[in-house]
Amino acid sequence: MSEKHSYVGKNLQRTDVLDKVTGRGKFTADLKFSNMLYGKLIYSTHAHARILNIDTSEAEKLPGIKAIITAKDVPSIRYGLSPARYDENIFCIDTVKFYGDKIGAVCAIDEDTVYEALKLIKVEYEALPAVFTPAEAAAEGAPQIFEEYPRNLNTEIHQHFGDCDKAQEEAYYVRTDRFQGQRTIHGVIEPHCTIAYWEGKRVIVHAAHQSVHYLQHHLARILGMKEGDIRVITPYVGGGFGGKLDVSGLDISAIILSKITGQPVKMAYDLEEVWLNGRGRHGMDMEYTTGVTKEGKILFVKNEIVIDGGAYTGLGIASAYYAGALLTVLYNFDNYKFDAYRYVTNLPPCGAQRGHGQPHPRYAFESHLDHIAEDLGIDPIEIRIINARKSGDVTPNGYELKSYFLKEANELARDASGWKDKKGKMAKGRGIGVGNGGFVSGAGFCQYRTDLPHSIAMIKVYDDGSHAIVYTNAVDIGQGSDTVLRQMAAEGMGYPYDDISIVSHDTDLATLDFGAYASRQTLMAGWAVKRAGEDVKRKILEMAAEMIKVKEDGGYRSGKLMPEELDCREGIVFMKQEPAVKITFAEVARAYFVKNGLLIGRGYYHPGKLGGQHKGAAVGTSPAYSSATQVSEVTVDEETGMVKVLNTWDVHDSGVAINPNLLHGQVHGAFAMGIGETLWEKVMFDEKGKLLNGNYAEYRLPTALDMPPVHSMILDTFEPNGPYGAKEVGEGATTPTLGCVANAVYDATGARVSSLPLTPEKVWRAMKEKREREEK
Amino acid sequence: MYLPNFEYFQPDSIEETCQLLSQFGSKAKLFAGGTDVIIKMKKELLSPEILVSIEKIDQLKKIEYVPGKGVVIGSGVTHNDLVYSELLHEKYLSISEAARQMANNQVRNLGTVGGNIGSAVPSADLPPILIALGATVKITGVKGDRTMDLEDVFIGPGKTVLAQDEIITEVVIPDQKMTGSNYIKFGLRASGALAVVGVAAAVQVENNAIKEARIVLGAVSPTPVRAKKAEEFLKDKKISDELLAGAGVIASGECVPITDIRASAEYRKDMVRVFTRRALRKAIDEGHA
Amino acid sequence: MLKFVTDKDGVKRYLVSLKVNGNEYTRMVKANSLLVNFLREELDLTGTKKACEQADCGACTVLLDGKPVNSCMILTINADGREVITVEGLATNGKLDILQEKFIEHSAPQCGYCTPGILMSAKALLNRNPHPTEYEVREAIAGNLCRCTGYVNYVKAILDAAENQ
Repeated sequence: MSEKHSYVGKNLQRTDVLDKVTGRGKFTADLKFSNMLYGKLIYSTHAHARILNIDTSEAEKLPGIKAIITAKDVPSIRYGLSPARYDENIFCIDTVKFYGDKIGAVCAIDEDTVYEALKLIKVEYEALPAVFTPAEAAAEGAPQIFEEYPRNLNTEIHQHFGDCDKAQEEAYYVRTDRFQGQRTIHGVIEPHCTIAYWEGKRVIVHAAHQSVHYLQHHLARILGMKEGDIRVITPYVGGGFGGKLDVSGLDISAIILSKITGQPVKMAYDLEEVWLNGRGRHGMDMEYTTGVTKEGKILFVKNEIVIDGGAYTGLGIASAYYAGALLTVLYNFDNYKFDAYRYVTNLPPCGAQRGHGQPHPRYAFESHLDHIAEDLGIDPIEIRIINARKSGDVTPNGYELKSYFLKEANELARDASGWKDKKGKMAKGRGIGVGNGGFVSGAGFCQYRTDLPHSIAMIKVYDDGSHAIVYTNAVDIGQGSDTVLRQMAAEGMGYPYDDISIVSHDTDLATLDFGAYASRQTLMAGWAVKRAGEDVKRKILEMAAEMIKVKEDGGYRSGKLMPEELDCREGIVFMKQEPAVKITFAEVARAYFVKNGLLIGRGYYHPGKLGGQHKGAAVGTSPAYSSATQVSEVTVDEETGMVKVLNTWDVHDSGVAINPNLLHGQVHGAFAMGIGETLWEKVMFDEKGKLLNGNYAEYRLPTALDMPPVHSMILDTFEPNGPYGAKEVGEGATTPTLGCVANAVYDATGARVSSLPLTPEKVWRAMKEKREREEK
Repeated sequence: MYLPNFEYFQPDSIEETCQLLSQFGSKAKLFAGGTDVIIKMKKELLSPEILVSIEKIDQLKKIEYVPGKGVVIGSGVTHNDLVYSELLHEKYLSISEAARQMANNQVRNLGTVGGNIGSAVPSADLPPILIALGATVKITGVKGDRTMDLEDVFIGPGKTVLAQDEIITEVVIPDQKMTGSNYIKFGLRASGALAVVGVAAAVQVENNAIKEARIVLGAVSPTPVRAKKAEEFLKDKKISDELLAGAGVIASGECVPITDIRASAEYRKDMVRVFTRRALRKAIDEGHA
Repeated sequence: MLKFVTDKDGVKRYLVSLKVNGNEYTRMVKANSLLVNFLREELDLTGTKKACEQADCGACTVLLDGKPVNSCMILTINADGREVITVEGLATNGKLDILQEKFIEHSAPQCGYCTPGILMSAKALLNRNPHPTEYEVREAIAGNLCRCTGYVNYVKAILDAAENQ
């Protein structure tokens, strides 16, 4: 036991992996309950229209139909994330606001009958004029989607720090660039599914969801119930990426339909419905004006972002703030002006998606920064190193960076990729690019106003000490939280990893945690399980001190031991000075039981008060920030514009890696999502607001043949605010990719494509326009 | 998703298949691999009351060489049968390679040659290379067989000359004068993407000159289309990069692409130029490989 | 010749017999019964996942007479007289297939929803081609979309399994 840790930092086997390779692991859609009914939502077929009449009479006659509900059958309460923007109803009242808006729900004895019924439901509409872009939404005389959002402006942000205008006067060089980020979708392979049934006054909800607590909390408010009367369980979840964080129409409808019918009700999305109601990434128009010194030091940044929010707000308000919040974390400058305008439009609502609000602005700023470097004749990595923040910095918008190693990330990425031998020296059609990113390690504030701790954990030990169970409502949606939390619990307890199991994602069985979002669980739930483990250990050491017999004549002191003279590792309690003096954890645990009863450990985590005082200061606060640098090499077919990514190096500053294998897995997936969004993915609509590509043939996620080799590297860093020195990786690793690949394409072609994705046609056109400019 | 119900017939012979199709008329739909029909039924783009499956007709599943006739490919042959066929590897690897670029592995195990032709999707990958090689098809109906050039089968998107009771039973690749052939698919992802442009070329090279060429363009017109002016331009000319580039320019004027969510017409036209040149070069340099 | 009965509403139900994971099953199904639903609902083999339902994602991949196919495209009637292997059929007598072992060793799955499909595609590949190149591995699983892993550890695990079978 000479190593510092027994389990932290080890590539231990995933907790869930046997279930997942044998097919026995159950996802929500795999569950069946006796007497279960099947339901579907009824969707609007207009982008903006008044509902004149809903005729369900033919559908009701269909044998096997159990219930059909619309707005008249449910409370007219409005909901959302923040009270000022509760703008969504359970079902549309009077008007539909996008093609795919939910009008009602049907349930029947089998799925075929539900689909047959949907065809028989007749909705009469009076079409209303609709808006599909922020520009249309903001136009004079544009139709109003909501009374409370004049000119359809849903969120307006003005955060100004320092004095940008003064800095602009002093700057050696000032440049303005504009970029466009597209709407994308999470691309979860498991479509959302919810099953609900009632037991007396309580309802049990099984849902593919990222947070059992938030689902419970929001459902309680919407349904006028007590949180304790709603039990939420998430079985295995087939990916989230932010798309399974909002409460969905499936959740609410399944509960109501189950109440009406007295039977369990299962509701699921078909794939296209995931696009309509899954709440993907916002489209953004971004303008950056940056002033620098002759040496490339950033003096100020003015940043204006116009956001297409879609029909409702939900988590979208946080996305809007995140869009500008974290730039100051990466680069060191005092003068910052961030203005944002989020408009509602008659398109599916947008929400949180991996890197929440940040990947598009990262793409834009990283591209912008490359242009500034080029104009000044500075190497792109050099300008990033010059401006990189460092540990101990506090940003003008109030974030404190305990550990921050962006400079080192750039240096390692530069060296590992052979940047110096490649940049500017590559053959025609080949290019190399860099991009920086990073993310919060958990949001500093809860989704709703509360003083609750962000994470609570409990560890229960069997009466004979042979097994322990860690309880937490952190949700493993594939990222591996069950595994790393077991590792940290085992480390904290000094108990064998193989003898600890985990009970998670069940509001009845496990303990409060806000769930899987904002890259929070390793840090926040990690602290809670670590402390719970240490609590058990404390009790064990106290008990052991009473039990250990010290030899009178053995050369060491006789009499009673003090607990602090002892430690426990891997299930063995031993004397620190004389490790040969030892007793097993199990023996001590059994004695503890005989004397005190149940042996449990408790842990909690609250990040404390974080951030500044300005409006919106809460968004972007976090106990710790990761940073990351990616370098990619590409080829561009000069005739077709087709981009091929050849190689990628990712360096992540994520503190101590609890399980390096799982960390690299996060980087691989984040990068894959990032190149998908850079090169192929875009949600498209026709001129009436109807979704055009709600399928994986026309919305192209990368396949195995599209993926380049990814060299994922971890910096050896330590985060003082993280359990065992750990901070985030899951979302941060997506954020550098878009800018990185875009910069590599620019390097290869000399032509900038200023909107995502970089389709072959756009690259072809940019190269063509460049040739035409040069010929003039 | 919902698959509406229907009745299912699984005849043992071609004759019986045609009789059923004739008997049920427009209510019936021929069913082979199902990759097109099932998706369209799920999306309610098709709603046949009856599916007539050729699943049990083994004679449609062969690839063989018939001396004096050529390579005969049954319409029930799957895309992966083409990919793995040793006969094709030996004679026309270009067909195997075209099939290999289709959809994804699972779909290639289901989709059939007959389906790829019969569904008449403008972006289909097999027709261009088959037409470039001068393929004919045998069509069987209740009144008997007829044979025609594959390029004459297509009328428009989703439309062929086949009568309700007729099915394609075989595709014949005649013995060739062409010394090389090749199909380039240009899709927006490495796998599982429809062609934005597909160009097939076949050439007869003699003494470093092109004696004859056949160029077929996919996904840029309502049907696969021959670039006949480009073919004529190449006839009896000495091979050079300029010549092939010239053929590309001419070919790009011989298609009438549409703008859709995958690409604009302008871009497609230019890609026809690029890929015509590249396909010709490959067919010249690498034979049927 | 398919046997069927017609119910009082005139709907036909066809008699199908198929072998799934070595076991014979005989059932009456409607013509529109899809193999993916038959496996999941009728036989409770929920390891085969349903996702895109349009043959684009590969989550429902099973082996039909040894070949990987999308069970969301297969009519159950069409599987009559044929043999189906699902992810539940990979392990024999409690012993995991080498692919399963290597998926565990390399921490290949994350959310796991695509995992059964990838296993079946990989199994078919190794049966046909015991020593694939990396490109051939990628090609074999290109019809299986995964959003979590970038396929990195899946590809490593399959190559490792090929070397150690």
